[in-house]
Amino acid sequence: MSPEGPIEGAPTLERLVARVAAQVRRRRAEHYALRGAFWSSIAAVVVLLLKTPIGGWALPLAGGLFVAGTLGGLLWGAFKRTPSPDAARLADRAWGLEDRVATALEWAGRPDRTPLVDALVTDAIARIDKLEPRVAARRVIPRDGRFLPIPLALAVILALAPPVPLPSGRLPDFSAETEDATAEPRTDSSLLEDRKQPLAKDRMKSPSFEERDFASKMGGTGASMSGDLSAIFKDTALSSQRPDFQSFLKKGDERLKLLEQADRLPDLQSDFTTSQYKMVFKKSKALSSGLRPDQISPQKLRELLEEMERLGRKGGGNWGSDAAEGMEALEGGQPDRAMEAMQRALDKMRAQDEAGRSGKGLKGGRESGRTGTSRDRRGGEGGGPEDQDFGEGEGLLPGKGRSGSPKGEATQRLRSTPYDVGVEGESRRGRKDGFDTNLTGRAGATASRLQYLGVIGQYRKMMEDAITRESVPRDFHSQIKDYFQALDER
Amino acid sequence: MTQDTRVRDFVAAFEGLRAEVEKVIVGHRDIINHVLIGMFAGGHVLLEGVPGLGKTLLIKTLAEGLELSFSRIQFTPDLMPADIIGTNIIVEDPDGRKHFQFQPGPVFGHILLADEINRATPKTQSALLEGMQEASITVGGASRPLPAPFFVLATQNPIEMEGTYPLPEAQLDRFLFKLRVRFPAIEELNAIIDRTTQARVVSVDRVMSGAKVLGFRELIREVPIASHVRDLASTIIMATHPAWQHAPEAARRFVRYGASPRGAQALVLGAKVRALAEGRFNVSVEDLKALAAPALRHRVILNFEGEAEGIDIDTLVGQIVESAEAVAVQGKEAFLR
Repeated sequence: MSPEGPIEGAPTLERLVARVAAQVRRRRAEHYALRGAFWSSIAAVVVLLLKTPIGGWALPLAGGLFVAGTLGGLLWGAFKRTPSPDAARLADRAWGLEDRVATALEWAGRPDRTPLVDALVTDAIARIDKLEPRVAARRVIPRDGRFLPIPLALAVILALAPPVPLPSGRLPDFSAETEDATAEPRTDSSLLEDRKQPLAKDRMKSPSFEERDFASKMGGTGASMSGDLSAIFKDTALSSQRPDFQSFLKKGDERLKLLEQADRLPDLQSDFTTSQYKMVFKKSKALSSGLRPDQISPQKLRELLEEMERLGRKGGGNWGSDAAEGMEALEGGQPDRAMEAMQRALDKMRAQDEAGRSGKGLKGGRESGRTGTSRDRRGGEGGGPEDQDFGEGEGLLPGKGRSGSPKGEATQRLRSTPYDVGVEGESRRGRKDGFDTNLTGRAGATASRLQYLGVIGQYRKMMEDAITRESVPRDFHSQIKDYFQALDER
Repeated sequence: MTQDTRVRDFVAAFEGLRAEVEKVIVGHRDIINHVLIGMFAGGHVLLEGVPGLGKTLLIKTLAEGLELSFSRIQFTPDLMPADIIGTNIIVEDPDGRKHFQFQPGPVFGHILLADEINRATPKTQSALLEGMQEASITVGGASRPLPAPFFVLATQNPIEMEGTYPLPEAQLDRFLFKLRVRFPAIEELNAIIDRTTQARVVSVDRVMSGAKVLGFRELIREVPIASHVRDLASTIIMATHPAWQHAPEAARRFVRYGASPRGAQALVLGAKVRALAEGRFNVSVEDLKALAAPALRHRVILNFEGEAEGIDIDTLVGQIVESAEAVAVQGKEAFLR
């Protein structure tokens, strides 16, 4: 057979592919019908909730919506195009044909096909003839389709139940005109006996008690009891008063002012140990303790970042963008960056938390010295060791020195002061200078605020770069690598 | 001869040669298969393993099973390029006139065993580069073709690294496959003892000629590959590059350089041989998966973090293949995945 001519048996392949495509269409129709049914049943529920205003049309309308949605989904799925190469691949996978059908179908029509293609088509057809009927396309239940029984049941209940009374949707009107308008009839009648129900206060008293009370009011004689009983209940104090809403508002304002003053007082009831920052910090610590960024559950990290973003939105904090960046990094599969962003957001939360505590905290002056704005002054004035938990920079970086940057200047140090570069690639004999990597001073006893796991990756990269640039003598390479290896094992 | 017969011939030859090698070599079925796949694909193979696992014996046995010339070079630090490729020497003709005559080195053979290749200096190692890629050697300004088929089988020891010169990436890339020879299982060890400590001498028959090997190489190139399988091969190679947008997290974190286009060629050519050896006329996704590790493990260069973390390159390649498969079906409906 010449490679230019048509290949015999290609229709057999096409028939198989068409069979699989039909299966795919069936599965799709099921899938989209379920989706359509779910959403249309929700629409039906809404219609049934509005049974009162819609009236007798509600039930047919709901039913029609449901049928239309389901049918629409079904037709959409059934008539969607299925590419034949995809169907061929499905067939290969379903019957274990090792890509024979897809390859044969693709190459059968190619002008540059090799003689082996003919043999491939023959082989594929021989195998297809022996195939047993099997479902090639799997059933995919949509997520929303799984919840279909809920709106369906709801719709059935609503259809059978009487119409749901809808709220009138009118708010009470407190305007002065309305007050006057309603007050007038009260003044006219001005008789409490007109009320069908006794007042709440009155309800507590039995009728006999009321009578006794009245008797005492009238001087205990009971002589005038023969008069109009309605007069007894005439509350002249109330009837003479017109409702004064303005004064009520004024009183409210005064109370609000009082509340504001109270807010200036030390907040003895607030528990600062459960501040937003502390809670989030605890969660982040629990999430990342002893784990590398790649070992941290992305789901939990995302939840934490989302919570931080929500808190940022709610509390007007400025860490929302960092949390969002972290989530973005997490989406992009970069847990390192996500952790860094989370750390930045945490720092901002802490700064705001401390700023919020200033003036109201129980620690008074000392706390005020910790605010973000006073940080800059710290180095110059009143920055004695007693006034600080630890110096800026200490506790953040292994090594000594104070750094203005929260991440320190490790790279600078390596670049600018290579400590032992006599001849490149060799180390000199004798004593060698090195950096003390142990934390000293007060910072030594304080837990680092910078997440170890968040920075170790950066440091390792810096080290790797430094080694690549050969700014570190070759003799030290293995030593440095071992050191970082040891850090990782910790 | 029908195509079916040609393929059946190839299967028979492949299995016959494997059977001959297995007369001597116990176990290591995968290694033998991959060496044969490498040979039929027209590539070169690097075998890595601790001493005593039979790497050299395997290659020698393979050479015995083929009607091809075989040369062996034991690489040492003082080996010079001329020791491999040959040199011009002064010879005197019957008339008493002297002239240069090229004395070919051991590289001029069909099968070249480069034993402990990493013991020679980079200069000497690079003497093989041209031969491996171009199948010719240039000496004294003259290019001399190497005999066809030309097949380099090199061995190296991964633990005794003192005094060795790790192969440069450029040379590693020229090996179609890098195979890791593992330690035998206890049953295999027992069989090795039985087979090698008895008086019985095993003889290997020559079952294939060089011309036949070349013929099969042509047949292999005719094997069709579906576009989705080819796309998967390309995606696998791309996924080894940390800068690629769909690269898996493992590659981004632990890989410094990904595989070159030669890696894709190795993957597809190897897959074609594997398909034919199984009597199939087309390349399948499974072929690519089976050969991803041998074809890529020496082409994916770990960064410092990867080395410090002790990342197993085979596991990494496995993850890369998985992620490439996921990328290949990305955007497709669940029914069509």
